[in-house]
Amino acid sequence: MLKLFEREQLNLAKLPAEQTAIEVRDLNLWFGDKHVLHNITMRIPRHRITALIGQSGCGKSTLISCFNRMNDLIDNSLTEGEIIIDGRNINHKKENLSTLRSNVGMVFQRPNPFPMSIYDNVCYGLRLQGIKQRRLLDDAVEQALIKAVLWDEVKDRLFETATTLSGGQQQRLVIARALALKPSILLLDEPTSALDPLTTLTIEELMADLKKHCTIVIVTHNMQQAARVSDYTAFLHQGELVEYSDSDTLFTLPHKKQTEDYITGRYG
Amino acid sequence: MRQLALNTHISGRFNIELENLRNSVMAMGGEVEQQLVDTLKAIATNHPGLAEKVILNDLKVNSMESQIDEECLRIIAKRHPTASDLRLIMIISKAITDIERMGDEIERIAKLVTKQKLPADVAIKASMLSIGQQAAAMMRGTFDAFARLDEDAALEVYDQDNSIDSEYKRLLNYTAGEMAHSGEPMEDWLEILWALRSLERIGDRCKNICEYIVSITRGRDVRHMPLENLQQKLDDLSDS
Repeated sequence: MLKLFEREQLNLAKLPAEQTAIEVRDLNLWFGDKHVLHNITMRIPRHRITALIGQSGCGKSTLISCFNRMNDLIDNSLTEGEIIIDGRNINHKKENLSTLRSNVGMVFQRPNPFPMSIYDNVCYGLRLQGIKQRRLLDDAVEQALIKAVLWDEVKDRLFETATTLSGGQQQRLVIARALALKPSILLLDEPTSALDPLTTLTIEELMADLKKHCTIVIVTHNMQQAARVSDYTAFLHQGELVEYSDSDTLFTLPHKKQTEDYITGRYG
Repeated sequence: MRQLALNTHISGRFNIELENLRNSVMAMGGEVEQQLVDTLKAIATNHPGLAEKVILNDLKVNSMESQIDEECLRIIAKRHPTASDLRLIMIISKAITDIERMGDEIERIAKLVTKQKLPADVAIKASMLSIGQQAAAMMRGTFDAFARLDEDAALEVYDQDNSIDSEYKRLLNYTAGEMAHSGEPMEDWLEILWALRSLERIGDRCKNICEYIVSITRGRDVRHMPLENLQQKLDDLSDS
């Protein structure tokens, strides 16, 4: 029978390794006595946008922070289980965190440009890696700003201080700063909650473009945003992964009642 | 009339989804239009094979309706459309029901050929084909108006149903007269009457879609209004 609309529905439980960007196996995390993540097991597909949704305190930001070991910075945190990226368990004690965080970039809720020029912001990570040749830096800055759809707006004022940019531009600059390191995974923790609705749509459109270059995992309180931007969505509740499927299914026909209650605003 | 720009959203993917949705309605309309053309040809040439093909092809039309409806649901759930986008999607969801029903009416007419129940009376058959041609023209005009969301074209097509209705009434009276002194079984006559009714209903379904087009362009529900009032109402809106 004729198919009018094409849909991709990967089998997330049996995702082959070459299509998996992040594989989480039996992940548990404690902050002191508090058990925050409970036996999370999931495979995040490569070159797709995966959204993590759930109530405040459900563990979605904690989970995304596990993917580049940002939780290591929190005292009394204890992680068990494996997170496989590029065939390596990043929870291994010998993992090089600097390399990991170059490969797995992260952008936070509030744009946090450094108090320096736009140019210096974008090549900050590259300079930390020891790259000094001007030509290489110029190219990297241009490419990163083009990918972040900011180049046309700032190409004539690259050496002005980044704090003069608008909120939406600052957030795209921060994304460009992460992209300059050519990450294979980009983690976005509430990237648009401090932005107005139209700027939010611009950033969302940017995400759709960026997935050609990298895998994106986004945490959002905004269910509508998760529905709009993501290919796959995971719903977490009190540290447990309740449902994880393609977003079309999750937002039209969720399998679990708990998910249905949450996305329809019946959450008790 | 306000022009509807489907491809001006910040989200390029939303633009594509709306465009695909509209194209799929056009594809469904084109399919049903071809079904009617084939059915009329099957009647004219008494070709049961062609009529059989029409009956089988109705499954494809049904599947298209389900898929488009599902896509409307998906877009509403994922994109939360508002204003003209929301109206367009809701109207598409209604319009495909009418298009699918047109498919069912055509299937019923095609069964007249496969069951070999075509009217023996040459005048009835000729009038049936004449109404069929008018319904096909109306259908073509409706889908053209829908493709361009052209309100003027929709109003023009809307008017054509009067001619189908009067031809239908005339043919109904004539057929009733023939039935009275015919020796053919009553159930055969009923099949013919149902087929005539189906042709007439296609015109009504086209009218519904024309009303939907005006609903999209004006943002006003103009159903259940006679044509004179409809035109007058639209004229008032244009003046204000």
